[in-house]
Amino acid sequence: MDTDAALKQIEAAQSLEALQSLKVQYLGKNGLLTQQMKTLGSLSPEERKERGRQLNEAKSRLEGALEAREAALREKALQEQLEKEALDVSLPGYAFPSGGLHLISQIQQELLDIFRSMGHSVVEGPEVESEFFNFDGVNMPEWHPARDMQDTFWLQKPEHFTIRGPFGEDVGDLGGALLRTHTSPMQVRYMIQHTPPFKIVVPGRVFRYEQTDASHEAMFFQLEGLVVGPDITMADLKGAITELARGLFGAEAKVRFQPTFFPFVEPGAQFAMWWAERERWLELGGSGMVHPNVFKAVNDYREKMGLPRAYEGMTGWAFGFGIERLALLRYGIPDIRYFYQQNRLSFLRQFRN
Amino acid sequence: MRIVYSWLKEFLPEAPAPERLEELLAGLGHETETIDRLPAPDAGIVFARVLAVEPIPGAEVRKLVLDAGREVQVVSGAPNARAGMGVALALPGAVLPGGLELSARKIQGLESYGMALSAKELAVGEYAGGLMEFPEDALPPGTPLAEAWPEDWVVEVEITPNRADVLSVYGTARDLAALGMTLVHPDPRPRTTPIPLPFQVWIDDPKGCDRFTLSYARNLRNGPSPLAVQRRLYAAGMRPISRIVDASNYAMLELGNPIHAYDARFIGEGIRVRRARKGERLVTLDGVEREFDGRDLLITVEHGGHNTPEGIAGVMGGSHGEVREDTAEVALEVAHFDPVSVRGTAKRQGLKTEASYRFERGVDPDGQVRAALRFMELVQQWQGEGAEVAEGRIDLNHTRPREPIAFRPSYANRLIGAGFAEAEQLEALERLGFRVEGRAEPYRVTAPTHRMDMEIEEDLVEEVARIIGYDKIPVTLPSFFPAPDNLGVDEPFEAKQRLKRALVGLGFQEVVNYSWTSPEELSLYRAPAPTVAFANPQASDRTHLRTAVYPGLLHNLKTNLAQGEEGPFLLFEIGNVFNESETTRLGMLLSGETVPGLWQPGLAGGFYALKGLLESAAAHLGATLRVEKEGFAHLHPGVSGAVYWNGRKVGSIGQLHPAIAAQAELPTAYLVELELPLPASQTRFKDVAKYPASLRDLAVVVPEGVPYGEVERILRASAGEHLESLQIFDVYRGSPLEPGQKSMAFHLSFRHEGRTLTDAETDGYMQNVIGAIEEAGYAIRR
Repeated sequence: MDTDAALKQIEAAQSLEALQSLKVQYLGKNGLLTQQMKTLGSLSPEERKERGRQLNEAKSRLEGALEAREAALREKALQEQLEKEALDVSLPGYAFPSGGLHLISQIQQELLDIFRSMGHSVVEGPEVESEFFNFDGVNMPEWHPARDMQDTFWLQKPEHFTIRGPFGEDVGDLGGALLRTHTSPMQVRYMIQHTPPFKIVVPGRVFRYEQTDASHEAMFFQLEGLVVGPDITMADLKGAITELARGLFGAEAKVRFQPTFFPFVEPGAQFAMWWAERERWLELGGSGMVHPNVFKAVNDYREKMGLPRAYEGMTGWAFGFGIERLALLRYGIPDIRYFYQQNRLSFLRQFRN
Repeated sequence: MRIVYSWLKEFLPEAPAPERLEELLAGLGHETETIDRLPAPDAGIVFARVLAVEPIPGAEVRKLVLDAGREVQVVSGAPNARAGMGVALALPGAVLPGGLELSARKIQGLESYGMALSAKELAVGEYAGGLMEFPEDALPPGTPLAEAWPEDWVVEVEITPNRADVLSVYGTARDLAALGMTLVHPDPRPRTTPIPLPFQVWIDDPKGCDRFTLSYARNLRNGPSPLAVQRRLYAAGMRPISRIVDASNYAMLELGNPIHAYDARFIGEGIRVRRARKGERLVTLDGVEREFDGRDLLITVEHGGHNTPEGIAGVMGGSHGEVREDTAEVALEVAHFDPVSVRGTAKRQGLKTEASYRFERGVDPDGQVRAALRFMELVQQWQGEGAEVAEGRIDLNHTRPREPIAFRPSYANRLIGAGFAEAEQLEALERLGFRVEGRAEPYRVTAPTHRMDMEIEEDLVEEVARIIGYDKIPVTLPSFFPAPDNLGVDEPFEAKQRLKRALVGLGFQEVVNYSWTSPEELSLYRAPAPTVAFANPQASDRTHLRTAVYPGLLHNLKTNLAQGEEGPFLLFEIGNVFNESETTRLGMLLSGETVPGLWQPGLAGGFYALKGLLESAAAHLGATLRVEKEGFAHLHPGVSGAVYWNGRKVGSIGQLHPAIAAQAELPTAYLVELELPLPASQTRFKDVAKYPASLRDLAVVVPEGVPYGEVERILRASAGEHLESLQIFDVYRGSPLEPGQKSMAFHLSFRHEGRTLTDAETDGYMQNVIGAIEEAGYAIRR
C-alpha cells in the first residue's frame, strides 16, 4: 500500500461520501491497511515490531488526514448551505393584517386610564332611555327650559321593546322613550343600584337631534364622572379635573373653572384646560356638585324598590364632556364625519400606537 | 344676549373696557360669544333733512332735495323717502362701512351729490328696504352722524337658562356690580297727569297670570325714534319701528320686563286674561292665524258685551290692537305670567319671541311698574311736548313674597371644600341684593325678586362661590374605600376591553357605526325587523334603531370598496342592538384574503380563516369554542353555524348569503355575530406532564353528510378520562372509499397523570373507541 498515494486521494476527496469510501478502502474491516495489519502475525518478532510501527504510523496519518478532510468538507458544505439559504431580507414579509382600535376608542382608553389611576370603576348604561332617567331624574322636569339645550331624538312608544331599569325592571311607564342626550342618566341608574362611597366613570354614546356636518354629529361619545360620599367637595372635583388635565397635557397643565348652569348640579362649573402647545384654553365640559334633587330622585326610587335611602346627607361631584373634540383638535382632523359616517380604513389605520 | 357697551356703562360707570369685561362675565358664569366693535360713521356721513321728493319722469328713482347744512340733491330709489324726514347722507368723499368711497355722479341725467342711506348701508342693521328714518330735528343738518353715534361695542353673552335676571342691560350691570362696582339704579320719573283710566282689567286665572299692570298715556305723536336709540336697538338685535314700539322694546332690553303697548282705541272696556276655549282663533302680529285650546292663556278684550282674543299671554300680541302710525293713545301692559304655561304655548305654537324667551325663564315679578314708568319716560323724552301720562294705573298683584332660605356658611365650606370666612360669605350675598337675617347660622337669606332661580341652600352656596371666585377654591383628591357593593362593577366593561384587545391582536380593525338604520337596510341584509322607531326621524335612512351589528359592517365593506380602499377587510364592532331589549353584540367581518399575496402567495380567507381567527381569540381568552351547523337568515345555508362559547350558544358564524351579496353588490364575505357578555372562562391549574403520552392514530369512514363534530363527539365520549387531546389531521375522499363516503383521520393522545400507561391499557381504550364508532354505524379504515 502506498501511504502517500492514499493521503493524496484523501486530500482530493470532494465529498463526505467519497471520503467515507476511502476510509473503508483503507481502514475498513477489509481495508488495505487493515489487511496488512492482519499479516503482522506471520512475521518474526523483529520484523513485526518494525513493520507494526510503520503500519501504525501510516494508520494514524491516514486517520488524521481523514479527520482534517472531513472537517474541511463539512465546513465547505455548511458554507454552501448558508449561501443557498440566503434571502433578500429587504423583500416585504407576509402582509399579516394589523388591527387597531377606532380613534374614539383610543381617546376613550386614554381618558379611562387616567380615571382608573384615581380609583374610578368603569361602568356603562343603555342608549335607549326613559324620559325619567334622562331628564326628570337629573332635575330636568318637563317644563324646564334646559331641555331646549339638548335637542332630543324621541322614540315612538315601543310595543315589542322593553326599556329596563337598574334591576332589569320594565321602566316603560316612566315617561317617553328617547335616545339618551347625555351619559348623566347613568348617575341615577348607578346610585339606585349601589351605595356610597364610590368613584365611577361612564363612557358611552349619546345623541342629539342635529344635522350632521363637518363639526356636528348627531351621535357622539361622552365621558361622565361621578364621585359620591359623605364629604365629597368641589375642591375634590377640581382635583380630579386637574389630574385629568395633567394626564392629557402633562405636568404644566392648567385648569380653569367658571360658574355655569346645568340642572343636575349645584353649584355648577364649566371647566377648561390650558393647551400649552397651542397656547389656548380648551373648553371641555360641565361639572359641579350633585344637585339634591338628583339624590332625592335616587332615594325615592330606591325606596320604591325596598332599598334604604342611602343618599341622605351625601355629597358628590359629577362632570361630563364630549370626547370627539379632543381627537379632532389633537390630530387636526377637519371633519367629524370621518369618525362614524365613513369608517374609511385609510382614516382608521392612521391612528396606531 | 347682545349687550351694547355704552348702554351698560349708563348703569355701571366703572365698567372696564370690553376686552376685560369678558373675563369678569366669565367669572360670573356668563360666557362671552363675540365682542363686536361698532365704529363711528365716517366723517363724510352727515345728518340731513329731506326738503322735497320729486319724481324723475320715466325713472323709478326719485330726486331728493335735502338740507345738509346747505341744500343738496341726490337721486334715490328708496320707497319711504318723503319730505320732512331726517336721514343719513353720505357726501362725496365719504367712505361707507363696506369700504365704498362715494363721489358725486350723474344718475338719470341728474347730478347726485352723495347717497341717502339705509340701515344696511350704515352697517347698523340688516334692513335695506328703505332709508333709515330719523326725527327731522335729530341733529342740526350737516352735523356728522358720528356725534350721535360714537364708537361703541356689542358684547354677545350666552345666558344660561336659569339666569333670566341677566337678560337685560340693567340685569347684567347688577350682576357685575356685585364684584365691587357702583350700580346706578334705574329710577324713571315721567311727568304724570291726573287723568282717569279708560279701561278695566279682569284676571280669570291668577295662577297663569299673577301680576298684571295696565298704564295709560294719551296725546302721543308716533314717529321715528332718536338717532342713538335706533342704533342701540339695531345693535341689540331689534329693528326700530316707531317711537311707541321702540320705547317698549327699549325698556324691555334695558330692564328685562316684556312690555306690550296696545292702541287704546281697540281695547274696548278693558282686558280680560283667561284660558282659551278649544278651537279659539287669533291672528297674531306676524300675520299668522293660530288656534288654541284650554292650556293656552289669552289676553282678550271686552267690548259691548263681547269678548274677543287680542293676544297670546307672554308670547305675542294680536294684529288687531297693535300700535300704528296714527296711534295717539296707549294702554301699556307689563305683566307676569306662569313660565310653564308660556313655555307650553310657545312650544305648541312654534313661536319663540323676546317676550316668551324671558317669561319662560322667569321674569322679575316685581319690576312691572318700574318698566312701565320707564316706557312712559322714554315716550315723553322722545316726543317732546304734549304726551300725557296718567298718574294712576291698574295693578293686579297676586304674587307672593319670597320665602327666606336657611343658609349655613359651614355647609357652604363643607360642600365647596374651602374655609371661606362667614363674614365674607354673607357679604357676597348682600352684594347680590340678598337680605340676610339672623345672628348665627342658620341665617335666613331672602333672594331679591329678580332671582327666580334661588330655591335651596345649594343655590346660595353657588352664589357665594361665584362672587368670591371659583379660582379661590382649593384643589384636593379624596381617598377612601368604596362600599363593598361597588367592587367588580367594572367587569362587564373590562371583559369587552379584553375581547377588543384579542381581536386587534389578530388583525381586526375596529369600526364604529351609527345606532340607527332603516327598515330598507335591515330587510336588504335580512336582519330582524326593527322594534324601535324614531318619533321625529331626521332622514329616511335614519328612522329606526339597529337590530344587528353586521349590516353596518357590510355597509363599511361596501363604502370602503367604493372608495378604492385596500383590504384586507377584517372588521369588527362592539355595539348595542335593539330587539326585545337593548343588548350588546360583537360583529366581525372577513372579506378577501386573510393575508394578501404580494410577491409570494398570501393566505386564504374564507370560512375556516374567520373561524380560526375566532378560535384563536377564544383561546386567547381561555374559552372553548364550538360551532354546530345551524341556519341563519342572513347566512349561506350550507356555510353557517351556531357558535358555542364555553359551551353556551352565543351567536352565529358563516358566509353572507350569496343572494344578499348579489342584491347588495357585495363580494363574498364571512360574518360573526355574538351576543355579549360572553360566558366567562375559568382558569384551573393542572400540573405539567411528567409521564410520557401514548399516541394512536385512527381513521373513521362516514357518509358525506356526517359532520366532523359528530365524530369528535363519539370519540371524546368513548375514549375515557385519559384522552389528553384529539386532532384531526386528514379528510380523504376517493378510492378505495365508496362514492359518498369520506375518511377522517385523527391523532389521539392518552396520558396518565401519575404513571406511564401500558400499551395494553391504551389498546383497551382504543377498543372502546372503535366499538363506539361501529356501534354508531360507521367504519374504521384499516
